[in-house]
Amino acid sequence: MSAFLARNRLIVLAYAGMVVLLLVTALFSPGFLSVSNMRSTVVLAAFVGIVALGQTFVIIGGGIDLSVPWVLNSAAIIMALLCGGQDLPLVWVMPLLLAGGAFIGLVNGIGVARFGVPPIIMTLATNVILQGLILVLTGGSPTPSAPALIQFLSVGRIGGFPVIALIWLALTLVATLLLSKAAFGRHLYALGTSATVAEFSGVPTARTTVLTYVISGLTAAFAGMLLTGYSGQAYLGMGDAYLFTSIAAVAIGGASILGGSGHYLGTVAGAMVLTILTGLLPALNLSSGALLIVYGAVILLTVSVGSETFAGLGGRLRRKEG
Amino acid sequence: MDLVTVNGLSKRYGGIVALSEATFGARAGEVHALLGENGAGKSTFIQILSGAVQHDGGSILVDGRDYRPANPDAAQARGIAAVFQELSLIPDLSVEQNIWFRHEPRTLLRTVNRKEMRRKTLALLEKYNFPALRPDQELRRLTLAERQIVEIAKGLAKDTRILILDEATSALPAREAEWLLKLTRQLAAEGRLVIFISHRMAEVRAIADRLTIFRNGSTVAAHEANAVSDNEIVTQMIGRHLDRLYPERVATATDSIALSVKGVSSGSRLSGVDFALREGEVLGVGGLQGHGQRELFQALFGATRASGTIELWGKPVSIGNPRQALTGKDGIALVPEDRRGQGLLLTKSVRENLTLSVIKRFTENGLLSRQKEAALVKEMVDFLRIKAGTPEQLAGTLSGGNQQKVIFGKMLLTQARVLLLYDPTRGVDVGTKGEIFQLMRDLASKGYAILFHSSDMPELVHVADRVLVMRNGRIAATLEGDHISEEEILRAAMLETKAA
Repeated sequence: MSAFLARNRLIVLAYAGMVVLLLVTALFSPGFLSVSNMRSTVVLAAFVGIVALGQTFVIIGGGIDLSVPWVLNSAAIIMALLCGGQDLPLVWVMPLLLAGGAFIGLVNGIGVARFGVPPIIMTLATNVILQGLILVLTGGSPTPSAPALIQFLSVGRIGGFPVIALIWLALTLVATLLLSKAAFGRHLYALGTSATVAEFSGVPTARTTVLTYVISGLTAAFAGMLLTGYSGQAYLGMGDAYLFTSIAAVAIGGASILGGSGHYLGTVAGAMVLTILTGLLPALNLSSGALLIVYGAVILLTVSVGSETFAGLGGRLRRKEG
Repeated sequence: MDLVTVNGLSKRYGGIVALSEATFGARAGEVHALLGENGAGKSTFIQILSGAVQHDGGSILVDGRDYRPANPDAAQARGIAAVFQELSLIPDLSVEQNIWFRHEPRTLLRTVNRKEMRRKTLALLEKYNFPALRPDQELRRLTLAERQIVEIAKGLAKDTRILILDEATSALPAREAEWLLKLTRQLAAEGRLVIFISHRMAEVRAIADRLTIFRNGSTVAAHEANAVSDNEIVTQMIGRHLDRLYPERVATATDSIALSVKGVSSGSRLSGVDFALREGEVLGVGGLQGHGQRELFQALFGATRASGTIELWGKPVSIGNPRQALTGKDGIALVPEDRRGQGLLLTKSVRENLTLSVIKRFTENGLLSRQKEAALVKEMVDFLRIKAGTPEQLAGTLSGGNQQKVIFGKMLLTQARVLLLYDPTRGVDVGTKGEIFQLMRDLASKGYAILFHSSDMPELVHVADRVLVMRNGRIAATLEGDHISEEEILRAAMLETKAA
């Protein structure tokens, strides 16, 4: 057990931070811990968590995906347009858009793995291109409202549990299996630790890299459709917030931003921490500008507390005492 | 009076004792060799001296004053610098920028004084007769050996009274290694103390005035170099009598060709190589460094593009990347040159490193079986006698010899029976070297076919069944039987080079 704690210290730390944050928030805003409020917190966290799922894979592999905002936004808007508020078209629209997200990931991955484009440039470029395409497509006009089925997926409940929380749980299970119990996971950690060593060890480095971006495209597109259900309609810019939060959730969850370490279970805690924060800050009665400043500062602090350097410092201090 | 006096020096990492109660004394103006197997405590000792880590117990006196550097800069301030095996240079900077990094000569405006830097670099290179290095060369274009030389220049660039050389000759070809030995004597003659670590007894013999022997994390003896025999030294190093370093050479080669290479070329460094490696054979590859050995190994492993025909076990193969090389029982596996940069995931466990190439084999319905993996890992750790606390220990915390064993284990697990060993004993202690040679022989007798390059010529002479000598990207000679000797290898490697 202690070996488990040592190996996953940063993940444990992320959950500990989440609990502390919950208690602090409850102190400032009584009723925060109520069932209904927790339920809505989990629902909001699920959107961050689902986008951050793909981001986790990309970052562990040593890359970064800056195209999530507009993959998400594109999926949201195209779904609303194609469905026109009807449920039936979802049967083909949903697979189509998931395939579309995967395709964008494929393009990102091939650019990075085959043509050696730095991940930041590659994904930033696809993000901007998608943004342009959607502007051309919609001309800026509003889209029809979301189909009822999608609304059920994002705000409905089954036996008291939000449907989206159950979806999140299932995705968490799949991600955990991929990272901990599949050959792909081993290859991924090796790739992120040292691409050269991975290549010399016979790891299919290009395929593994491409796959991480495909997963990220998939989860961003999926989150886009769900988010449309949550807001009732799709609108331009709805994905912008998820660039920062998806990366921050991974970092708070204990992954090294340089790759090779981390786990989706940590990212889940990261998504919760970020969402609880957005609940705590309004309770402090700050102006919206001040809110953003505190939000950013707290994330910076959380990430540095969880980062390897800080953990290393803690380790050094302990050794001196001993 | 001794320049450095060390008493009861100790260092622990968690529960692991890296150094315990070490004593040491050395005078100015001497070359002092540190001997011991990997993991014996030498590395920890010099890391403490150079300020890279801090000791928990004991004392160090330099010039009679207490010495406890908090970091390498503090050590440098007291005149102590170390040249480590793990290179600390920055690939994007030039030779001179690396040499003076963070100590650049400045102008009045505090900008870097390039003229002065160039002048000082040339003066330094000339004073110590450095082999061909141009101050403005970009580091990434240099070979490992040239980088090692830059590293040495960097150590000398400051006012260094105590220079620590950690395995500095191991990456150097014969001529440069000889230069370094001369340099070491020159530095001692100038009144400096040189602390010298090498696993090559002949070098220690050639230059050391005194030597200190480490074993199991402590010092066991110190001698005047001319008052102790090689046998006594080796016995004290390993704590028992080592019969012989090189195993008996039993001819196990069959007539069956494992690897056939025809007209393999790659870039300007490899131009039309032909040879055949037989089942059960250890085939040496020698020659001066930089004559295509590296490119040959990389080409056969698919790590660089190459043209020509390669046949494995009689079947033509096309190897475009290491993954294809490693595929299946008829594959070809490599122990790479750069242990830390190409061979090991330093921040991952011994287990994850061992099974990285074959992880698919442990999956059932797509899910890993940890039991199956653990069983095979245990088998391999026992078979190779890898000294690790548990298989979960991080590979980067193992000694050099044990790291190399992990790479061997990873290679053996792939079930490839054609093995490419590129300088597998570089920076490995004498005990592990013996084990590696024995392992090579055992594998050969089981029908493996081994292509073996070593920068240490006696190894080729004593271990290989035949030796290919490379020159200018070609096989210049194939030596067999009694013709395998250092003289013959050198002759074949150099003769035409002189004419050209």
